Amino acid sequence: MKTKLILCILLLVTASTAGCLGTLEEEGELYCEVLPAGHEDDGKLRIISYDVLALSDSMIEEFTNETGYEVEFIKEDDAGGILDQMMLTKNAQQADLMIGLDNTYLQTAIENCLLRDTIYTSNDNYQNISSSALEPYSGPLAVPFDQGPVCLNYDEDFVDGENVTEPTSLWDLTDEVWKGKTAFPSPITSSPGRSFMVATIDYFENDDDENTNAFDWWKAMAENDAIFTSGWTEAYETHYTGGYGEYTTGYIGDAHITVSYCQSPGVEAYYGGNYTHSTSLVLPKATIQQVEYTGIVNGAANIIAAELFIEYLLSPEINAQMPENNLMYPVLEGYELPETDGYRYHSDTPAENADIDIERINEEMQDWLEEWKTATD
Amino acid sequence: MLTIAPLGYAILRLTAVTDLTIVEALGNFLADDDTVRALRFTLLEATFSTIFTIIIGLPIAWYLGRYKWKHIRILRALLSVPFVTPSIVVAMGFLMLIDPDGLLNYAGIDLRLESGIIGDIASYTGWANPGHFIALIAAHVWFNLSLVMRFIEPTLSTMDKSWEEQIRFLPAGSTRFGRVRNLWLPILGPAALCAASLCFIFSFTSFALIKWLTPNQDNLETLMAKSGGSAGIYNYRVDTSEIVLATSIVQLMILCLAILITAQIQRKHSVIHAVVTENSESVGKIKPNPAAKLIISGAVIYSLLPLILVAISSFRIRDISNGDYSYSTEAWQEAWSGNYSATAIPEALYNSLIYCIITLVIALPIGYVISSLIARLEHEGRIWTARVVEVLSMIPLALSAVMIGLGILIGLLKWSPSLFSWILIPAIPHIVITTPFVIRIMLPAMRSLQPEYMEQAKLLGLSTIKSWWHGKILMLRAPLVVSAALTMAFSLGEFGASWILVRSGSWDSLSVLVDQLMGQPKFDPLIQPMAMAAATTLMLLTFVLFLIAEKFRANEEGSGF
Repeated sequence: MKTKLILCILLLVTASTAGCLGTLEEEGELYCEVLPAGHEDDGKLRIISYDVLALSDSMIEEFTNETGYEVEFIKEDDAGGILDQMMLTKNAQQADLMIGLDNTYLQTAIENCLLRDTIYTSNDNYQNISSSALEPYSGPLAVPFDQGPVCLNYDEDFVDGENVTEPTSLWDLTDEVWKGKTAFPSPITSSPGRSFMVATIDYFENDDDENTNAFDWWKAMAENDAIFTSGWTEAYETHYTGGYGEYTTGYIGDAHITVSYCQSPGVEAYYGGNYTHSTSLVLPKATIQQVEYTGIVNGAANIIAAELFIEYLLSPEINAQMPENNLMYPVLEGYELPETDGYRYHSDTPAENADIDIERINEEMQDWLEEWKTATD
Repeated sequence: MLTIAPLGYAILRLTAVTDLTIVEALGNFLADDDTVRALRFTLLEATFSTIFTIIIGLPIAWYLGRYKWKHIRILRALLSVPFVTPSIVVAMGFLMLIDPDGLLNYAGIDLRLESGIIGDIASYTGWANPGHFIALIAAHVWFNLSLVMRFIEPTLSTMDKSWEEQIRFLPAGSTRFGRVRNLWLPILGPAALCAASLCFIFSFTSFALIKWLTPNQDNLETLMAKSGGSAGIYNYRVDTSEIVLATSIVQLMILCLAILITAQIQRKHSVIHAVVTENSESVGKIKPNPAAKLIISGAVIYSLLPLILVAISSFRIRDISNGDYSYSTEAWQEAWSGNYSATAIPEALYNSLIYCIITLVIALPIGYVISSLIARLEHEGRIWTARVVEVLSMIPLALSAVMIGLGILIGLLKWSPSLFSWILIPAIPHIVITTPFVIRIMLPAMRSLQPEYMEQAKLLGLSTIKSWWHGKILMLRAPLVVSAALTMAFSLGEFGASWILVRSGSWDSLSVLVDQLMGQPKFDPLIQPMAMAAATTLMLLTFVLFLIAEKFRANEEGSGF
């Protein structure tokens, strides 16, 4: 009750100082009108999200017991689906809180005025968020809640060091030995696929060869019969030979390298009794830190409940569970992956992540996607 | 209106967003490799599915119709099960069948990993993923087999046996070829063509099976579904709006043509069927020979096998410590309690039941009123008007589930975004999809209903409502129950439109829950059996409804719809 009261006062102060200025740019700054509620406030908290594994029933129940707010989900396939849905209902938002947009989508949401300020940035616990999580974005419109480096994972049974050696450059994947044996989720429809494509742009902008760029590489990969899938699940589970896919129905197993997270081998070990034959390829600039955000929807009806949920999601008790529940790193300083069953041991640390700011990602994404499509068609 | 208005508005919106005319959109369709590839694949899989369904279905229908079987109603029901099975359950069943640990693999046919003979075919012909394509065709054949049976078997089982005896004495029927050409082809040809055209339409608009069985390829339906989420929004992902606009127009044109051809063939088939069954009293049948028993037993096993595998898989759990499998109810318990961020089975079941009750309450009266109107117009001699109403009522059949879902999403919802949270939204496509089925089931009964019954009831002094009840409803009890049960079964299993629309709210139905669980990362070995538990629940519920429909189906209808 006390928390609610404090939040109410803070919200009143914020609302009175916030200008309703409409969507206009002034001296490079973007101002967004704070929209009225797009749906009726029936006391429930409506969250738009993808199937974030961490949001389990018990966790939601606990939140409801603590705050009295019931929670209802609008579930999308992935981060792209969240953005699509928020764009679709721009003038009548159906959700109060967004959970799951990552750093390759966030700026588009910001520039389209889909989010509004949260007061969580002035919360003491906000200071506990690690600098790596705050690096892509640290403004008042979104708060990071989990993170993890996206990178290539390969099957150690195939890359045995004798017949096939570990690639030392992305160009190595265009060799005959990898022909038809690589799988990539499409950046058009997949969030990790999109992150990896961004990483390749930075990788090839910073390599020694000035005559080729990322899309030359993607073209060469397509010519080397790379498999392109619509989502991460198809690439990792259906095609990749190094992961759990071999135990699932629908497994094809025709690719020995794919895009996933650098901690995926750790997750494999955690669920596989400390055994995995998958590992990460952590070439400098060929990995990219993916940060996932939560933020209050511009047009939300139940702002107090949304603020409370952000606080709950970022509480040490909940955020520390991200590795087990959402297979990602927590964002809070001092919390690491668990050591149980080789989770931490098998999770690789990137040598140097690709570094492209989110404004550039937003500005150039459409062109990149078109170039990618042309290169891989 | 429910169908045309959202779709029309959706197309208008897409043309506005893309700034393209319909002709320009069609030009773009042909210039885009992805869309052309999807069209080519759609035509290929639909054609192959149709050919193989007829080749495999004909002998089954022949033996079922020509021989005297004990428990014929049970056999018909078992062989018809696939047609009412939700497509997402079929997809799961075939995934289990072709699994590297599955039965087919033990028989040396590896359709998934494409090793052995399938791998040899791939490397010899250069055909990419022949195993996936064969699995898809096998699933489509399985799904549509009852169409062939239900069109051909009634004609065969009720045909006057003396016709066959008589033609043997004529020069045109003295040889086997002659009898095929002059007796069987004219009699069974239109029925087979009817089944073939419907099979083509259903395979053309297949969604769940393509999504899960041929992961490397898109048909028009999956291509539209993937692009649909971001379509119809001004200044955002215009490329997806272009794909959806062009693809929906091409699909609409092809399906309209297919529906028109089907209607023509169906009229011809109805006339022939009426003539053939005119003297059905004298039909005499012989006991089935070993070949007949083998074919029918094989067909029954083929019909049930994928479904049994789904149920078994819901109990089969991999032990992460040694990779062995054990059997337990753990996945059922987890799926029932809704852990792993998935909707719990009871909640999804509740949603599914709500939608199917709403669908029933709306689709059944609409179907009743329309079929009653058509029958009355025909009775009054206004044949042309009756035809127009009939054709208009069949329009939803010319639209795929995904198109209807997108029509509502882009059309209705973008016109009034506040409708997003309206509970009726997911039920709208179910109503649109099932109403034509109600009309098809009710119309023949309406046509044969004597208007005198109601007049006599009125003469007995009954009120208008009581006259209607005793003179009409009680007479139509059987087709009404069949319509109601099938409407609910189709609504429960509907996947394409639901997949598009549930993303707008928290309305997960059972069919969507299966897809969601299967789409989750499955590091935890419990997730896949949980999906199978949801699929099994959906399957059992559908079967109960189907059994109710079968119980009320008149025996003399044979396997006919």
